[in-house]
Amino acid sequence: MAILEVDSITNSFGSVTAVDDVSLSVEAGELFCLLGPSGCGKSTTLRTIAGFEQPDSGQIRIDGTDVTTTEPNRRDCSMVFQDWALFPNKTVRENVAFGLRMNDVATAQRRQRVDETLSLVEMTDHAEKPPAALSGGQKQRVALARSLAFEPEILLLDEPLSNLDRKLREAMQLEIKSIQRETGMTMVYVTHDQDEAFTLADRIGIINEGHIAQQGPPATVYTDPTNQFVESFLGTTNFITCEVTATTAVEPATPEATDGGTAEIELTTPFGEPLSVPAVDRLSPGDTVTASIRPERVSVVTASSEPPASWLFTATGTVEQRLHRGSRIRYELAVGETTLVTERRIDERLGVDIGDSVAVGCQPEAITYFDAAGRRIR
Amino acid sequence: MSVTAAGLRDRLQNGELRGLLVAPIVLFDLLVFVVPFGYLLRISLTERTQRGAFVEGSWSIEAFQYVLSTPTLIDSFLFTLWFAAGVTALSLGISLLYAYAIWRAAGGLRVALLGGVLVSMLTAIVVKLFAVQQLFAPNGVINQGILATGVIQEPLALINSAAGAVIGQLYIVVPYSVLAIYSVLSSVDESLLDAARDLGAGRLRAVVEVIIPHTIPGLIVAGVISFTWSVGSFAAPLLAGSSAERTTGIAISDLLQQNFDWAAAAAMGLLVATTVFVALAVTYGLLSYTGGGTDG
Repeated sequence: MAILEVDSITNSFGSVTAVDDVSLSVEAGELFCLLGPSGCGKSTTLRTIAGFEQPDSGQIRIDGTDVTTTEPNRRDCSMVFQDWALFPNKTVRENVAFGLRMNDVATAQRRQRVDETLSLVEMTDHAEKPPAALSGGQKQRVALARSLAFEPEILLLDEPLSNLDRKLREAMQLEIKSIQRETGMTMVYVTHDQDEAFTLADRIGIINEGHIAQQGPPATVYTDPTNQFVESFLGTTNFITCEVTATTAVEPATPEATDGGTAEIELTTPFGEPLSVPAVDRLSPGDTVTASIRPERVSVVTASSEPPASWLFTATGTVEQRLHRGSRIRYELAVGETTLVTERRIDERLGVDIGDSVAVGCQPEAITYFDAAGRRIR
Repeated sequence: MSVTAAGLRDRLQNGELRGLLVAPIVLFDLLVFVVPFGYLLRISLTERTQRGAFVEGSWSIEAFQYVLSTPTLIDSFLFTLWFAAGVTALSLGISLLYAYAIWRAAGGLRVALLGGVLVSMLTAIVVKLFAVQQLFAPNGVINQGILATGVIQEPLALINSAAGAVIGQLYIVVPYSVLAIYSVLSSVDESLLDAARDLGAGRLRAVVEVIIPHTIPGLIVAGVISFTWSVGSFAAPLLAGSSAERTTGIAISDLLQQNFDWAAAAAMGLLVATTVFVALAVTYGLLSYTGGGTDG
């Protein structure tokens, strides 16, 4: 059963619409990530769930109860803030006990619960210190413990790790994940870091300009994006602008189908080789289509060898750049009027030098297509 | 010559002569504070006389005996303590609310609220007290406003009364008090309020639990300003109070100008100053006990 339901909320600040008709639902025990670039409205969405912002329209339900106008202190959720917002005049123990005290938990029970939570986040030894005496990672643990201690239904996390360095951040991601498994806590986690989202999430909602572009399990949104924003936001890719030259209807549109029938479309590409792809029949000659190939799915063979017959196209290119980036090597290939980027693990490096001529292509399923409005063409 | 200059520089850098750097301040303090205070002390220890301000060159504790055995002066001293305590309590309450309002306000409203404090602070005391007289007079805006609501039938005695003295004194101390509290409050992260609310605290409780502890150093400074200034108050009780509101400031002025009894006036002044010193010492103790906000 969905424990949190956000039902088409819209938030405006003056003329700016920060959150535009966002709907999502989170199951009990699930870790849901809201992923998006800064200023996309993901934090506002979270603050609206917590009750710090009032939506202009829409409804928020926790456990089936409408809490849209409920004060933050009466909602059964708790937030871990980006800057942690620990109370500086209270010790670690007092910070963690705060929520229990506000919820009128008896002293003995409170003490026990604080001890349990501190040991869960491995901060027992620091219980009597003031927050100022802690490192960033320790503050992060205390902030987490403070919200976990009084056992809210839902834990809201607003980029809680963005102030930590990379190593610590990665360690804390795993820790949050294991705490979530251990406690079975429902979490809504806001981040702009796609690696973090992929590491943590059971499901991801990708937000762009105030609305949800796509939501689903991490693997699905990565391999099967529904629009061009999701494709570009989740990692690097090669976008190739093509033009439709001809369409041949394969299966005519039926009255029931809303999106037209299927067709075979012909595309011109900047690398000289035409493409022929099956697609829904809603394009006409002259339309712009953007093709996307992920760097790891660009296939390359040396010019002397025969390219595989299964390739969708075969173009001739020149190696322009070769960059060693730790465990991977990045190649930039000049192909026709465009540049394609490809990456190989160090042990799968291409035997090519800068200036070498190569054959470039890819498997048919390696390309995704988007129309001028950014919608996926299937 | 150059050898001495280099030697001096070395000794300065080694910290041997660091004391020299505070010399100007020490000199200033000596001239404007210690010397006059010593002079006051000396006069308070002279014999009183009917034929002049005091007997030069004499030694006596007669003036202190006189001050401590004259009921009107003791009453005046006790009244001043009560007056100062009352003004301090009211000033802290008003200033905390006002500073909190500035802190929570945004943009233009914050500027306007801060501007109001600064304008009031930079207005001469006499002008301010004249404004108080106009505002709080029986036919002034405030009394007429309350009369119009029908809550009272007769105008309230808001000036030329104890209330007037307190109101006048508040006009003087509150702006300083507000700035002292706001300066501390402005360093508090507003997300602390969100965090407290999020963890289940109601609006008021969040402020009391999280914000007030943070403002204690500011409150102490505001308290010191309000109290010391009110203990020495003269203008407000004189212009906005009645003849019953005789603070030590007024009593000393009378001793100086009407009785021409400088020895007693000096003794009274020393008693007030000692009271202020004790208050400051206690506050200093409290500040060091709470860490003076350095742990904030």
